[in-house]
Amino acid sequence: MKKYFSVFKISLAQEFVYKLNFIMWRLRNTIQILVFFFLWSSVFTGGSEVSYFGYTQSSIMAYTFLLVLIRSIVMSTKSTDVSGYVSNGELSNYLLKPINFFKYLLARDSSTKILNIIFSIIEILILYLILKPNLFIQTNMFQIFLFIISLVIACFIFFSIVMLANSAPFWVPEIGWGVQFLVTVIFVEFLSGAFFPLDVFPKPLFEFLKLTPFPYLVFIPIQIYLGNISLLENTKNILIGGLWAIILWQVMNKVWKKGLKIYEAVGR
Amino acid sequence: MKQLVGNKLNNSAAFYLRIWLIMAKNAILSWLNKRESVVIFVFAKVVRYFFYFSFLYFLVTKTNGIVGFSANEVLFFTATYTLVDTIAQFLFRSVYTFRQLVVSGDFDLVLLKPVNPLFRSIAGGPDLMDLITIPPIMAVTIYFGLLLNPTILHTTYYILLIFNALLVSMSVHIIVVSLGVITLTVDHLIMIFRDFSSMGRFPIDIYKEPLKGFLTFIVPVGVMFSIPSKALMGLLSPMGILSSLLFGLAFFVLSLRFWQFALKKYTSASS
Repeated sequence: MKKYFSVFKISLAQEFVYKLNFIMWRLRNTIQILVFFFLWSSVFTGGSEVSYFGYTQSSIMAYTFLLVLIRSIVMSTKSTDVSGYVSNGELSNYLLKPINFFKYLLARDSSTKILNIIFSIIEILILYLILKPNLFIQTNMFQIFLFIISLVIACFIFFSIVMLANSAPFWVPEIGWGVQFLVTVIFVEFLSGAFFPLDVFPKPLFEFLKLTPFPYLVFIPIQIYLGNISLLENTKNILIGGLWAIILWQVMNKVWKKGLKIYEAVGR
Repeated sequence: MKQLVGNKLNNSAAFYLRIWLIMAKNAILSWLNKRESVVIFVFAKVVRYFFYFSFLYFLVTKTNGIVGFSANEVLFFTATYTLVDTIAQFLFRSVYTFRQLVVSGDFDLVLLKPVNPLFRSIAGGPDLMDLITIPPIMAVTIYFGLLLNPTILHTTYYILLIFNALLVSMSVHIIVVSLGVITLTVDHLIMIFRDFSSMGRFPIDIYKEPLKGFLTFIVPVGVMFSIPSKALMGLLSPMGILSSLLFGLAFFVLSLRFWQFALKKYTSASS
Protein backbone atom coordinates (compact mmCIF):
# COMPACT_ATOMS: atom_id res chain seq x y z
CA MET A 1 0.00 0.00 0.00
CA LYS A 2 2.93 2.29 0.86
CA LYS A 3 4.32 2.10 -2.67
CA TYR A 4 1.00 3.11 -4.18
CA PHE A 5 0.85 6.05 -1.83
CA SER A 6 4.30 7.02 -3.14
CA VAL A 7 2.96 6.76 -6.70
CA PHE A 8 0.08 9.01 -5.62
CA LYS A 9 2.48 11.60 -4.16
CA ILE A 10 4.84 11.55 -7.17
CA SER A 11 1.92 11.83 -9.56
CA LEU A 12 0.55 14.79 -7.61
CA ALA A 13 3.95 16.47 -7.77
CA GLN A 14 4.11 15.83 -11.53
CA GLU A 15 0.87 17.75 -12.02
CA PHE A 16 2.63 20.84 -10.66
CA VAL A 17 5.55 20.38 -13.06
CA TYR A 18 3.24 20.92 -16.04
CA LYS A 19 1.26 23.79 -14.50
CA LEU A 20 0.33 25.37 -17.83
CA ASN A 21 -1.02 22.05 -19.12
CA PHE A 22 -3.22 21.74 -16.07
CA ILE A 23 -4.46 25.33 -16.16
CA MET A 24 -5.29 25.04 -19.87
CA TRP A 25 -7.16 21.77 -19.25
CA ARG A 26 -9.25 23.43 -16.54
CA LEU A 27 -9.87 26.46 -18.76
CA ARG A 28 -11.11 24.19 -21.54
CA ASN A 29 -13.49 22.50 -19.11
CA THR A 30 -14.79 25.89 -17.99
CA ILE A 31 -15.44 26.99 -21.59
CA GLN A 32 -17.54 23.87 -22.18
CA ILE A 33 -19.54 24.59 -19.04
CA LEU A 34 -20.10 28.19 -20.14
CA VAL A 35 -21.58 26.98 -23.44
CA PHE A 36 -23.88 24.62 -21.53
CA PHE A 37 -24.86 27.38 -19.08
CA PHE A 38 -25.68 30.01 -21.70
CA LEU A 39 -27.50 27.57 -23.97
CA TRP A 40 -29.83 26.48 -21.17
CA SER A 41 -30.16 30.02 -19.84
CA SER A 42 -31.45 31.07 -23.26
CA VAL A 43 -33.93 28.18 -23.22
CA PHE A 44 -35.27 29.18 -19.79
CA THR A 45 -35.78 32.86 -20.55
CA GLY A 46 -39.43 32.48 -19.48
CA GLY A 47 -38.42 32.49 -15.79
CA SER A 48 -38.41 30.04 -12.92
CA GLU A 49 -41.95 28.75 -13.57
CA VAL A 50 -41.11 27.33 -17.00
CA SER A 51 -40.22 23.64 -17.25
CA TYR A 52 -38.69 21.72 -20.15
CA PHE A 53 -37.89 17.99 -20.20
CA GLY A 54 -38.76 17.83 -16.50
CA TYR A 55 -36.24 20.52 -15.52
CA THR A 56 -36.89 23.93 -14.03
CA GLN A 57 -34.42 26.78 -14.40
CA SER A 58 -32.88 26.08 -10.97
CA SER A 59 -32.54 22.33 -11.55
CA ILE A 60 -30.90 22.73 -14.98
CA MET A 61 -28.48 25.25 -13.46
CA ALA A 62 -27.69 22.72 -10.73
CA TYR A 63 -27.10 20.19 -13.55
CA THR A 64 -24.64 22.63 -15.17
CA PHE A 65 -22.65 23.22 -11.99
CA LEU A 66 -22.70 19.56 -11.02
CA LEU A 67 -21.22 18.74 -14.42
CA VAL A 68 -18.05 20.65 -13.46
CA LEU A 69 -17.70 18.63 -10.26
CA ILE A 70 -18.70 15.22 -11.67
CA ARG A 71 -16.43 15.55 -14.69
CA SER A 72 -13.56 16.18 -12.26
CA ILE A 73 -14.42 13.22 -10.07
CA VAL A 74 -15.31 10.67 -12.74
CA MET A 75 -13.54 11.69 -15.92
CA SER A 76 -10.18 12.99 -14.66
CA THR A 77 -7.74 10.27 -15.59
CA LYS A 78 -4.22 9.67 -16.76
CA SER A 79 -5.00 6.10 -17.76
CA THR A 80 -5.73 7.08 -21.36
CA ASP A 81 -1.92 7.05 -21.82
CA VAL A 82 -1.94 3.27 -21.51
CA SER A 83 -2.96 2.62 -25.13
CA GLY A 84 0.25 4.45 -26.13
CA TYR A 85 2.27 2.28 -23.73
CA VAL A 86 0.84 -0.83 -25.39
CA SER A 87 1.48 0.48 -28.94
CA ASN A 88 5.09 1.54 -28.37
CA GLY A 89 6.12 -1.20 -25.96
CA GLU A 90 6.54 1.08 -22.95
CA LEU A 91 4.15 -1.19 -21.06
CA SER A 92 7.08 -3.61 -20.57
CA ASN A 93 8.68 -1.15 -18.13
CA TYR A 94 5.61 -1.35 -15.90
CA LEU A 95 5.17 -5.11 -16.21
CA LEU A 96 8.75 -5.66 -14.98
CA LYS A 97 8.19 -3.65 -11.81
CA PRO A 98 6.94 -5.35 -8.62
CA ILE A 99 3.63 -3.51 -8.72
CA ASN A 100 0.04 -4.27 -9.64
CA PHE A 101 -0.43 -2.27 -12.81
CA PHE A 102 -4.12 -1.52 -12.18
CA LYS A 103 -3.43 -0.35 -8.62
CA TYR A 104 -0.61 1.80 -9.98
CA LEU A 105 -3.03 3.41 -12.47
CA LEU A 106 -5.71 3.89 -9.82
CA ALA A 107 -3.17 5.59 -7.52
CA ARG A 108 -2.14 7.90 -10.36
CA ASP A 109 -5.77 8.63 -11.24
CA SER A 110 -6.56 9.42 -7.59
CA SER A 111 -3.96 12.21 -7.57
CA THR A 112 -5.31 13.82 -10.72
CA LYS A 113 -8.89 13.46 -9.45
CA ILE A 114 -8.10 15.16 -6.14
CA LEU A 115 -6.38 18.07 -7.85
CA ASN A 116 -9.21 18.44 -10.36
CA ILE A 117 -11.84 18.30 -7.60
CA ILE A 118 -10.10 21.11 -5.70
CA PHE A 119 -9.89 23.26 -8.82
CA SER A 120 -13.44 22.46 -9.89
CA ILE A 121 -14.77 23.62 -6.50
CA ILE A 122 -12.88 26.90 -6.92
CA GLU A 123 -14.26 27.25 -10.47
CA ILE A 124 -17.81 26.53 -9.28
CA LEU A 125 -17.48 29.26 -6.64
CA ILE A 126 -16.09 31.76 -9.17
CA LEU A 127 -18.72 30.91 -11.82
CA TYR A 128 -21.43 31.11 -9.18
CA LEU A 129 -20.31 34.56 -8.09
CA ILE A 130 -20.05 35.81 -11.69
CA LEU A 131 -23.15 34.22 -13.19
CA LYS A 132 -25.34 34.31 -10.06
CA PRO A 133 -27.64 31.52 -11.25
CA ASN A 134 -30.86 30.41 -9.59
CA LEU A 135 -29.49 27.12 -8.21
CA PHE A 136 -31.11 24.06 -6.64
CA ILE A 137 -29.22 22.86 -3.53
CA GLN A 138 -29.95 19.35 -2.23
CA THR A 139 -30.38 19.28 1.55
CA ASN A 140 -31.55 15.69 2.02
CA MET A 141 -28.52 13.87 3.49
CA PHE A 142 -29.72 10.44 2.35
CA GLN A 143 -29.98 11.69 -1.22
CA ILE A 144 -26.44 13.10 -0.94
CA PHE A 145 -25.24 9.75 0.45
CA LEU A 146 -26.74 7.93 -2.56
CA PHE A 147 -25.17 10.54 -4.83
CA ILE A 148 -21.71 9.80 -3.39
CA ILE A 149 -22.23 6.04 -3.86
CA SER A 150 -23.28 6.62 -7.46
CA LEU A 151 -20.07 8.62 -8.04
CA VAL A 152 -17.88 5.81 -6.70
CA ILE A 153 -19.67 3.40 -9.05
CA ALA A 154 -19.22 5.87 -11.93
CA CYS A 155 -15.45 6.05 -11.29
CA PHE A 156 -15.11 2.27 -11.57
CA ILE A 157 -17.27 2.11 -14.71
CA PHE A 158 -15.22 4.88 -16.32
CA PHE A 159 -11.90 3.28 -15.44
CA SER A 160 -13.06 -0.07 -16.88
CA ILE A 161 -14.28 1.58 -20.10
CA VAL A 162 -10.98 3.46 -20.52
CA MET A 163 -8.96 0.29 -19.90
CA LEU A 164 -11.07 -1.70 -22.35
CA ALA A 165 -10.38 0.96 -24.99
CA ASN A 166 -6.69 0.83 -23.98
CA SER A 167 -6.64 -2.91 -24.71
CA ALA A 168 -7.39 -2.47 -28.44
CA PRO A 169 -3.72 -1.84 -29.43
CA PHE A 170 -2.80 -5.35 -28.17
CA TRP A 171 -4.52 -6.58 -31.34
CA VAL A 172 -4.11 -3.58 -33.68
CA PRO A 173 -1.35 -1.24 -32.41
CA GLU A 174 -2.21 1.60 -34.84
CA ILE A 175 -5.76 2.12 -33.60
CA GLY A 176 -4.96 3.08 -29.98
CA TRP A 177 -5.85 6.76 -30.13
CA GLY A 178 -8.70 6.15 -32.60
CA VAL A 179 -10.48 3.77 -30.21
CA GLN A 180 -9.84 6.11 -27.26
CA PHE A 181 -11.36 8.97 -29.25
CA LEU A 182 -14.40 6.94 -30.27
CA VAL A 183 -15.09 5.47 -26.84
CA THR A 184 -13.99 8.03 -24.27
CA VAL A 185 -14.53 11.23 -26.25
CA ILE A 186 -17.57 10.45 -28.37
CA PHE A 187 -19.61 7.70 -26.66
CA VAL A 188 -18.81 8.65 -23.08
CA GLU A 189 -19.25 12.38 -23.69
CA PHE A 190 -22.57 12.15 -25.50
CA LEU A 191 -24.21 9.09 -23.92
CA SER A 192 -23.26 9.82 -20.30
CA GLY A 193 -25.15 13.10 -20.04
CA ALA A 194 -21.92 15.13 -19.88
CA PHE A 195 -22.89 17.07 -22.97
CA PHE A 196 -26.65 17.35 -22.45
CA PRO A 197 -29.30 15.77 -20.21
CA LEU A 198 -30.28 12.44 -21.74
CA ASP A 199 -34.00 12.94 -21.09
CA VAL A 200 -33.99 15.40 -24.00
CA PHE A 201 -34.21 12.26 -26.15
CA PRO A 202 -37.60 10.58 -26.84
CA LYS A 203 -38.62 8.16 -24.07
CA PRO A 204 -37.95 4.84 -25.90
CA LEU A 205 -34.42 5.96 -26.83
CA PHE A 206 -33.84 7.29 -23.33
CA GLU A 207 -35.01 3.99 -21.76
CA PHE A 208 -32.74 2.08 -24.12
CA LEU A 209 -29.73 4.25 -23.17
CA LYS A 210 -30.39 3.46 -19.50
CA LEU A 211 -29.64 -0.18 -20.27
CA THR A 212 -26.08 0.79 -21.29
CA PRO A 213 -23.36 1.70 -18.74
CA PHE A 214 -22.91 5.28 -19.99
CA PRO A 215 -25.76 7.12 -18.16
CA TYR A 216 -24.38 5.80 -14.84
CA LEU A 217 -21.29 7.96 -15.33
CA VAL A 218 -22.91 11.41 -15.16
CA PHE A 219 -26.65 11.50 -15.83
CA ILE A 220 -27.82 9.11 -13.08
CA PRO A 221 -25.61 10.64 -10.33
CA ILE A 222 -27.03 14.08 -11.21
CA GLN A 223 -30.61 12.76 -11.17
CA ILE A 224 -29.97 11.23 -7.76
CA TYR A 225 -28.62 14.55 -6.48
CA LEU A 226 -31.57 16.49 -7.91
CA GLY A 227 -33.99 14.03 -6.32
CA ASN A 228 -35.96 13.85 -9.57
CA ILE A 229 -36.66 10.14 -9.07
CA SER A 230 -38.27 8.03 -6.36
CA LEU A 231 -36.31 6.13 -3.70
CA LEU A 232 -37.20 2.83 -5.40
CA GLU A 233 -35.94 4.14 -8.74
CA ASN A 234 -32.77 5.47 -7.06
CA THR A 235 -32.07 2.08 -5.50
CA LYS A 236 -32.68 0.37 -8.84
CA ASN A 237 -30.28 2.77 -10.56
CA ILE A 238 -27.58 2.21 -7.93
CA LEU A 239 -27.97 -1.56 -8.31
CA ILE A 240 -27.85 -1.46 -12.12
CA GLY A 241 -24.85 0.90 -12.01
CA GLY A 242 -23.12 -1.38 -9.49
CA LEU A 243 -23.84 -4.39 -11.69
CA TRP A 244 -22.35 -2.64 -14.71
CA ALA A 245 -19.26 -1.72 -12.66
CA ILE A 246 -18.76 -5.41 -11.68
CA ILE A 247 -19.42 -6.74 -15.21
CA LEU A 248 -17.11 -4.20 -16.88
CA TRP A 249 -14.38 -4.76 -14.29
CA GLN A 250 -14.49 -8.53 -14.93
CA VAL A 251 -14.57 -8.10 -18.71
CA MET A 252 -11.70 -5.60 -18.52
CA ASN A 253 -9.60 -8.07 -16.49
CA LYS A 254 -10.25 -10.89 -18.95
CA VAL A 255 -9.56 -8.75 -22.04
CA TRP A 256 -6.40 -7.32 -20.47
CA LYS A 257 -5.08 -10.80 -19.59
CA LYS A 258 -5.81 -12.02 -23.13
CA GLY A 259 -4.07 -8.96 -24.50
CA LEU A 260 -1.00 -9.54 -22.34
CA LYS A 261 -0.69 -13.07 -23.74
CA ILE A 262 -0.25 -11.72 -27.26
CA TYR A 263 1.71 -8.59 -26.25
CA GLU A 264 4.98 -8.49 -28.19
CA ALA A 265 6.54 -5.29 -26.77
CA VAL A 266 6.89 -3.93 -30.29
CA GLY A 267 9.43 -1.10 -30.42
CA ARG A 268 11.44 -2.34 -27.42
CA MET B 1 16.39 37.22 -66.26
CA LYS B 2 15.86 33.55 -65.50
CA GLN B 3 15.86 34.31 -61.79
CA LEU B 4 13.32 37.04 -62.28
CA VAL B 5 11.00 34.63 -64.11
CA GLY B 6 11.64 32.04 -61.41
CA ASN B 7 10.73 34.48 -58.67
CA LYS B 8 7.52 35.37 -60.44
CA LEU B 9 6.68 31.70 -60.74
CA ASN B 10 7.46 31.10 -57.06
CA ASN B 11 5.03 33.79 -56.10
CA SER B 12 2.29 32.63 -58.37
CA ALA B 13 -0.83 30.93 -57.12
CA ALA B 14 -0.25 28.03 -59.55
CA PHE B 15 3.12 27.31 -57.94
CA TYR B 16 1.61 27.18 -54.45
CA LEU B 17 -1.33 25.14 -55.64
CA ARG B 18 1.12 22.59 -57.06
CA ILE B 19 3.07 22.51 -53.79
CA TRP B 20 -0.17 22.16 -51.82
CA LEU B 21 -1.30 19.25 -53.98
CA ILE B 22 2.01 17.47 -53.41
CA MET B 23 1.74 18.01 -49.63
CA ALA B 24 -1.91 16.91 -49.68
CA LYS B 25 -0.99 13.77 -51.61
CA ASN B 26 1.77 12.97 -49.09
CA ALA B 27 -0.57 13.57 -46.15
CA ILE B 28 -3.24 11.34 -47.68
CA LEU B 29 -0.72 8.58 -48.48
CA SER B 30 0.51 8.75 -44.90
CA TRP B 31 -3.06 8.40 -43.59
CA LEU B 32 -3.74 5.50 -45.96
CA ASN B 33 -0.96 3.61 -44.21
CA LYS B 34 -3.21 3.67 -41.14
CA ARG B 35 -6.47 2.60 -42.78
CA GLU B 36 -8.00 1.19 -39.57
CA SER B 37 -7.42 4.50 -37.79
CA VAL B 38 -8.98 6.46 -40.64
CA VAL B 39 -12.11 4.25 -40.55
CA ILE B 40 -12.44 4.65 -36.76
CA PHE B 41 -11.88 8.42 -36.80
CA VAL B 42 -14.30 9.01 -39.68
CA PHE B 43 -16.89 6.80 -37.95
CA ALA B 44 -16.32 8.70 -34.67
CA LYS B 45 -16.77 12.05 -36.40
CA VAL B 46 -19.98 10.91 -38.11
CA VAL B 47 -21.32 9.57 -34.78
CA ARG B 48 -20.44 12.88 -33.10
CA TYR B 49 -22.32 14.92 -35.72
CA PHE B 50 -25.26 12.51 -35.50
CA PHE B 51 -25.47 12.80 -31.69
CA TYR B 52 -24.99 16.52 -31.82
CA PHE B 53 -27.65 17.26 -34.40
CA SER B 54 -30.06 14.79 -32.75
CA PHE B 55 -29.71 16.54 -29.40
CA LEU B 56 -30.17 19.94 -30.96
CA TYR B 57 -33.13 18.78 -33.02
CA PHE B 58 -34.96 17.41 -29.95
CA LEU B 59 -34.07 20.50 -27.92
CA VAL B 60 -35.12 23.19 -30.38
CA THR B 61 -38.25 21.44 -31.63
CA LYS B 62 -39.54 21.05 -28.04
CA THR B 63 -38.59 24.58 -26.98
CA ASN B 64 -39.67 26.20 -30.29
CA GLY B 65 -36.19 27.58 -30.95
CA ILE B 66 -33.94 29.78 -28.82
CA VAL B 67 -33.35 33.55 -28.45
CA GLY B 68 -35.94 34.32 -31.11
CA PHE B 69 -34.53 31.95 -33.73
CA SER B 70 -36.72 29.13 -35.02
CA ALA B 71 -35.71 25.46 -34.79
CA ASN B 72 -34.56 25.39 -38.44
CA GLU B 73 -32.58 28.59 -37.99
CA VAL B 74 -30.75 27.23 -34.93
CA LEU B 75 -29.96 24.02 -36.81
CA PHE B 76 -28.64 26.13 -39.71
CA PHE B 77 -26.36 28.07 -37.33
CA THR B 78 -24.93 24.79 -36.13
CA ALA B 79 -24.55 23.38 -39.65
CA THR B 80 -22.68 26.54 -40.72
CA TYR B 81 -20.38 26.29 -37.69
CA THR B 82 -19.67 22.63 -38.48
CA LEU B 83 -18.98 23.41 -42.14
CA VAL B 84 -16.55 26.29 -41.50
CA ASP B 85 -14.85 24.45 -38.65
CA THR B 86 -14.38 21.27 -40.71
CA ILE B 87 -13.03 23.08 -43.79
CA ALA B 88 -10.62 25.03 -41.55
CA GLN B 89 -9.53 21.77 -39.90
CA PHE B 90 -8.98 20.24 -43.31
CA LEU B 91 -6.91 23.15 -44.62
CA PHE B 92 -4.92 24.16 -41.55
CA ARG B 93 -4.29 20.82 -39.84
CA SER B 94 -0.49 21.24 -39.93
CA VAL B 95 -0.76 23.91 -37.23
CA TYR B 96 -1.21 21.04 -34.77
CA THR B 97 2.27 19.69 -35.59
CA PHE B 98 3.97 23.08 -35.82
CA ARG B 99 5.30 23.07 -32.26
CA GLN B 100 7.44 20.01 -32.95
CA LEU B 101 9.05 21.82 -35.91
CA VAL B 102 10.01 24.79 -33.73
CA VAL B 103 11.05 22.83 -30.64
CA SER B 104 13.26 20.43 -32.63
CA GLY B 105 14.77 23.20 -34.75
CA ASP B 106 13.48 21.50 -37.92
CA PHE B 107 11.79 24.77 -38.74
CA ASP B 108 15.23 25.83 -40.09
CA LEU B 109 14.69 23.42 -42.96
CA VAL B 110 11.33 25.03 -43.74
CA LEU B 111 12.94 28.48 -43.75
CA LEU B 112 15.65 27.35 -46.14
CA LYS B 113 13.23 26.11 -48.79
CA PRO B 114 12.13 28.42 -51.63
CA VAL B 115 8.56 28.33 -50.38
CA ASN B 116 6.85 30.80 -48.08
CA PRO B 117 7.40 29.32 -44.56
CA LEU B 118 3.99 30.50 -43.41
CA PHE B 119 2.33 28.56 -46.21
CA ARG B 120 4.22 25.41 -45.21
CA SER B 121 3.45 25.98 -41.51
CA ILE B 122 -0.31 26.37 -41.71
CA ALA B 123 -1.28 24.48 -44.85
CA GLY B 124 1.36 21.75 -44.92
CA GLY B 125 -0.78 18.72 -44.19
CA PRO B 126 -4.46 18.68 -45.09
CA ASP B 127 -6.54 16.16 -43.16
CA LEU B 128 -8.02 13.27 -45.14
CA MET B 129 -10.67 12.52 -42.50
CA ASP B 130 -12.05 16.03 -42.64
CA LEU B 131 -12.03 15.88 -46.43
CA ILE B 132 -14.27 12.79 -46.27
CA THR B 133 -16.74 14.49 -43.93
CA ILE B 134 -16.96 17.81 -45.82
CA PRO B 135 -19.43 16.68 -48.57
CA PRO B 136 -22.09 15.32 -46.16
CA ILE B 137 -21.74 18.40 -43.92
CA MET B 138 -22.14 20.60 -46.97
CA ALA B 139 -25.27 18.65 -47.94
CA VAL B 140 -26.74 19.08 -44.43
CA THR B 141 -25.95 22.83 -44.50
CA ILE B 142 -27.60 23.24 -47.92
CA TYR B 143 -30.62 21.25 -46.72
CA PHE B 144 -31.19 23.42 -43.62
CA GLY B 145 -30.38 26.55 -45.66
CA LEU B 146 -33.03 25.73 -48.26
CA LEU B 147 -35.62 25.30 -45.48
CA LEU B 148 -35.14 29.02 -44.75
CA ASN B 149 -36.10 30.01 -48.35
CA PRO B 150 -33.20 32.44 -48.90
CA THR B 151 -33.08 34.89 -51.83
CA ILE B 152 -30.25 34.73 -54.39
CA LEU B 153 -28.79 37.94 -52.96
CA HIS B 154 -28.76 36.58 -49.40
CA THR B 155 -27.24 33.32 -50.60
CA THR B 156 -24.48 35.31 -52.36
CA TYR B 157 -23.83 37.23 -49.12
CA TYR B 158 -23.68 33.93 -47.25
CA ILE B 159 -21.13 32.38 -49.62
CA LEU B 160 -19.03 35.55 -49.52
CA LEU B 161 -19.09 35.57 -45.73
CA ILE B 162 -18.17 31.88 -45.56
CA PHE B 163 -14.99 32.73 -47.50
CA ASN B 164 -14.50 35.64 -45.12
CA ALA B 165 -14.92 33.22 -42.18
CA LEU B 166 -12.21 31.00 -43.63
CA LEU B 167 -9.96 34.05 -44.02
CA VAL B 168 -10.54 34.93 -40.35
CA SER B 169 -9.91 31.32 -39.37
CA MET B 170 -6.66 31.35 -41.36
CA SER B 171 -5.67 34.58 -39.59
CA VAL B 172 -6.29 32.99 -36.19
CA HIS B 173 -4.16 30.00 -37.20
CA ILE B 174 -1.41 32.41 -38.33
CA ILE B 175 -1.55 34.15 -34.94
CA VAL B 176 -1.36 30.77 -33.19
CA VAL B 177 1.77 29.64 -35.11
CA SER B 178 3.30 33.09 -34.58
CA LEU B 179 2.75 32.74 -30.85
CA GLY B 180 4.18 29.24 -31.21
CA VAL B 181 7.44 30.69 -32.57
CA ILE B 182 7.65 33.12 -29.67
CA THR B 183 6.40 30.99 -26.76
CA LEU B 184 6.93 27.41 -28.09
CA THR B 185 3.32 26.67 -27.10
CA VAL B 186 0.88 25.83 -29.84
CA ASP B 187 -1.09 22.76 -28.78
CA HIS B 188 -3.02 24.40 -25.98
CA LEU B 189 -3.51 27.69 -27.78
CA ILE B 190 -5.13 26.03 -30.77
CA MET B 191 -7.30 23.86 -28.55
CA ILE B 192 -8.41 26.91 -26.53
CA PHE B 193 -9.24 28.66 -29.80
CA ARG B 194 -11.22 25.60 -30.87
CA ASP B 195 -13.10 25.62 -27.56
CA PHE B 196 -13.94 29.30 -27.94
CA SER B 197 -14.92 28.80 -31.55
CA SER B 198 -17.19 25.92 -30.47
CA MET B 199 -19.25 28.63 -28.77
CA GLY B 200 -20.22 29.60 -32.33
CA ARG B 201 -22.27 26.40 -32.66
CA PHE B 202 -25.17 28.49 -31.41
CA PRO B 203 -26.22 32.02 -32.36
CA ILE B 204 -23.85 34.36 -30.57
CA ASP B 205 -26.92 36.14 -29.17
CA ILE B 206 -27.28 33.47 -26.45
CA TYR B 207 -24.17 34.80 -24.68
CA LYS B 208 -24.23 37.80 -22.39
CA GLU B 209 -21.77 40.68 -22.11
CA PRO B 210 -18.80 40.80 -21.64
CA LEU B 211 -18.48 37.29 -23.12
CA LYS B 212 -20.48 38.30 -26.19
CA GLY B 213 -18.14 41.24 -26.84
CA PHE B 214 -15.13 38.98 -26.34
CA LEU B 215 -16.51 36.50 -28.89
CA THR B 216 -17.21 39.31 -31.34
CA PHE B 217 -14.05 41.40 -31.16
CA ILE B 218 -11.26 39.33 -29.55
CA VAL B 219 -11.89 35.79 -30.76
CA PRO B 220 -14.02 36.66 -33.79
CA VAL B 221 -16.41 33.74 -33.41
CA GLY B 222 -19.37 35.93 -34.36
CA VAL B 223 -17.81 37.00 -37.68
CA MET B 224 -16.86 33.43 -38.49
CA PHE B 225 -20.04 31.57 -37.64
CA SER B 226 -23.03 33.73 -36.68
CA ILE B 227 -22.78 36.53 -39.26
CA PRO B 228 -22.81 34.30 -42.40
CA SER B 229 -25.94 32.52 -41.10
CA LYS B 230 -27.64 35.81 -40.26
CA ALA B 231 -26.84 37.10 -43.77
CA LEU B 232 -28.62 34.12 -45.32
CA MET B 233 -31.62 34.77 -43.08
CA GLY B 234 -31.70 38.36 -44.33
CA LEU B 235 -30.96 39.76 -40.87
CA LEU B 236 -27.87 41.72 -41.93
CA SER B 237 -27.70 45.07 -43.73
CA PRO B 238 -25.25 45.58 -46.65
CA MET B 239 -23.27 47.83 -44.28
CA GLY B 240 -23.03 44.99 -41.74
CA ILE B 241 -21.77 42.66 -44.45
CA LEU B 242 -19.22 45.20 -45.67
CA SER B 243 -17.99 45.78 -42.10
CA SER B 244 -17.52 42.03 -41.62
CA LEU B 245 -15.54 41.74 -44.85
CA LEU B 246 -13.36 44.71 -43.90
CA PHE B 247 -12.84 43.23 -40.45
CA GLY B 248 -11.74 39.94 -42.06
CA LEU B 249 -9.28 41.72 -44.31
CA ALA B 250 -7.86 43.89 -41.52
CA PHE B 251 -7.53 40.86 -39.22
CA PHE B 252 -5.68 38.98 -41.96
CA VAL B 253 -3.23 41.87 -42.56
CA LEU B 254 -2.61 42.16 -38.81
CA SER B 255 -1.98 38.43 -38.51
CA LEU B 256 0.59 38.61 -41.33
CA ARG B 257 2.33 41.51 -39.60
CA PHE B 258 2.42 39.50 -36.37
CA TRP B 259 3.92 36.53 -38.23
CA GLN B 260 6.70 38.77 -39.60
CA PHE B 261 7.33 40.02 -36.07
CA ALA B 262 7.38 36.46 -34.67
CA LEU B 263 9.82 35.22 -37.32
CA LYS B 264 12.35 37.76 -36.10
CA LYS B 265 12.13 36.18 -32.65
CA TYR B 266 12.88 32.65 -33.89
CA THR B 267 16.05 31.41 -32.18
CA SER B 268 16.56 28.14 -34.03
CA ALA B 269 16.95 26.35 -30.69
CA SER B 270 17.96 22.65 -30.73
CA SER B 271 19.12 22.76 -34.34
